[in-house]
Amino acid sequence: MQNKLSGWSRAYLIIVFIILYTPILFLVLYSFSKGNTMSNFHGFTMAHYQTLFNDPRLLQIVLDTLIIALLSSLCATVVGTAGALGIYETRHRSVRQTVLSLNNILMVSPDVIIGASFLIFFTMLGIRLGFISVLLSHIAFSIPIVVLLVLPKLNEMNASMIDAAADLGANPWQTLTRVILPAIMPGIFSGFFMAFTYSLDDFAVTFFVTGNGFSTLSVEIYSRARQGVDLEINALSALWFLVSLLLIAGYYFLNQYNQGRKTKRREVGAIIK
Amino acid sequence: MAKTIIEFQDIVKEYGDTKVLKGINFEIEQGKFYTLLGPSGCGKTTILRIIAGFTDATRGNVMFDGKKINNVPANKRKVNTVFQDYALFPHLNVFDNVAFPLNLRKVPKKEIRTKVLDALRMVQLSGFEEREISEISGGQQQRVAIARALVNEPDVLLLDEPLSALDMKLRKEMQYELRALQQRLGITFIFVTHDQEEALAMSDEIFVMNAGQILQTGSPVDIYDEPINHFVADFIGESNIVRGHMVADYRVAFAGKEFDCVDAGMRQNEPVEVVIRPEDLDITTVEKGALTITVDTQLFRGVFFEITGHDDTGNMWRIQSIHSTEVGAKVGAYFDPEDIHVMRFNESEEDFDARLETYEGEDSDR
Repeated sequence: MQNKLSGWSRAYLIIVFIILYTPILFLVLYSFSKGNTMSNFHGFTMAHYQTLFNDPRLLQIVLDTLIIALLSSLCATVVGTAGALGIYETRHRSVRQTVLSLNNILMVSPDVIIGASFLIFFTMLGIRLGFISVLLSHIAFSIPIVVLLVLPKLNEMNASMIDAAADLGANPWQTLTRVILPAIMPGIFSGFFMAFTYSLDDFAVTFFVTGNGFSTLSVEIYSRARQGVDLEINALSALWFLVSLLLIAGYYFLNQYNQGRKTKRREVGAIIK
Repeated sequence: MAKTIIEFQDIVKEYGDTKVLKGINFEIEQGKFYTLLGPSGCGKTTILRIIAGFTDATRGNVMFDGKKINNVPANKRKVNTVFQDYALFPHLNVFDNVAFPLNLRKVPKKEIRTKVLDALRMVQLSGFEEREISEISGGQQQRVAIARALVNEPDVLLLDEPLSALDMKLRKEMQYELRALQQRLGITFIFVTHDQEEALAMSDEIFVMNAGQILQTGSPVDIYDEPINHFVADFIGESNIVRGHMVADYRVAFAGKEFDCVDAGMRQNEPVEVVIRPEDLDITTVEKGALTITVDTQLFRGVFFEITGHDDTGNMWRIQSIHSTEVGAKVGAYFDPEDIHVMRFNESEEDFDARLETYEGEDSDR
């Protein structure tokens, strides 16, 4: 690995990041603007944040969005992990490949098609469009993501550990909970977080299957944007962005902390030795 | 005679059309060190997996302590395994790895602690309890795997090429330790390896295998001195194998000459193969030698010179000698009648043993 980036690659990197982050920073900047449009910056104010916190409907939607994301990613993690285990255990090569392909097709097919097909499916079953239909569809499109993230961890896992567990007296359930799940936990966690973010920012599927009275953030922002972007939305986006930053920072520091603890223990061990 | 603990009755294992095991029969007695020895792919690991319960036999009975255990799942069998890759649990530290089987059985915490510490002391890993698996060396991981397999106090310990990942020096050390451990505990060990030196050094009894069959069973000395056929003679130790024929009982002809030997019970003029170990051949003058050999190459191996050459009829000979000679020189090779071992073609182990009995009985009568 090169330690120092050459001048050109450094410039390239900076330009890419500027292009990626400018719109977001622009959005955040205008959330503090006194005006009501994003055409000109009219001086600093927190007014939009005040309106935001005084808008119970919008806050309710934020809460709903989070609940949907949390519930759907939890369910999808459980179902997806079970699915990955099932695929892993399948001895028959062609069956395994087929199931995996069916899983991948769901990953790559356009959201619009999935959304439309869910809409038809729910109407046919007579399920009322709203919280339940959104939750079910989010679970459904999150499962393939979890499967795809858990399966490599299973394949990476030393298979003789399963034999070893049985050899040492573990029944299949104990083998699962005490050996396999701990081994694939990183995959399960990343599956959960992926499913969570997919659910948070899904627009197309939710747009199809949501009914009146229930909405998620992306659908709400879309419908408001059609009447011209309100700077209240900017304030919300800024907060949303801040939360994401905090989450990532938290994840980073958690990692650092774990690493530090391991090194520390190693040092202590060395001293004892 | 010790009690039979494991018995294989006509075990056949097929994967689709390929027969991995072709009718395996053996008895394992309690308290001995057994080795399954053979080249890779000969079915030795499959035997181990059938004993452990990870693989089912296609046909035949597996008996444990007199009871058929074909349908007993692996977690209910009183055998434990040391895996080739150790199969330690990376999310648990050394203590918890060893305590794993005890935790499963809900042994009281205090008892677990004493048992684990005992097991770790046994493999000389006291003080390593809190280490992570990733923090200890391969040799130490190996010991943890052994401690974990022994902490359950199994009747039989299965070892699947456990030393193959260690370096030469550590491997030798572990051979001594394993042997000592087995003798101290009195547990039956079944050890799988393709390393004949390892097998000879450690075992009470060796099963030599090839292509899904057991070719010969016996003590290391028996197998080394009296290999049943070309494969065994070649696989175990180094050998000179030449063709010849029996002239009469205790007379064998090869390399254009007749020699006294200690083998009998064969037809007159029956074609045979003759084995003489390189270390049994002594270099001497041409006049004193039983065979005249022209030296082709000479390698210095430290303890001895390894000399290869050919006799007048074109047979190749390998000789280990402490005295050097010169390439191109003609030397005499001397050996005693006891150094000659005669093998018949296609003789089964049963016939081999029966034949040995007929004339070895005579010997003791005389």
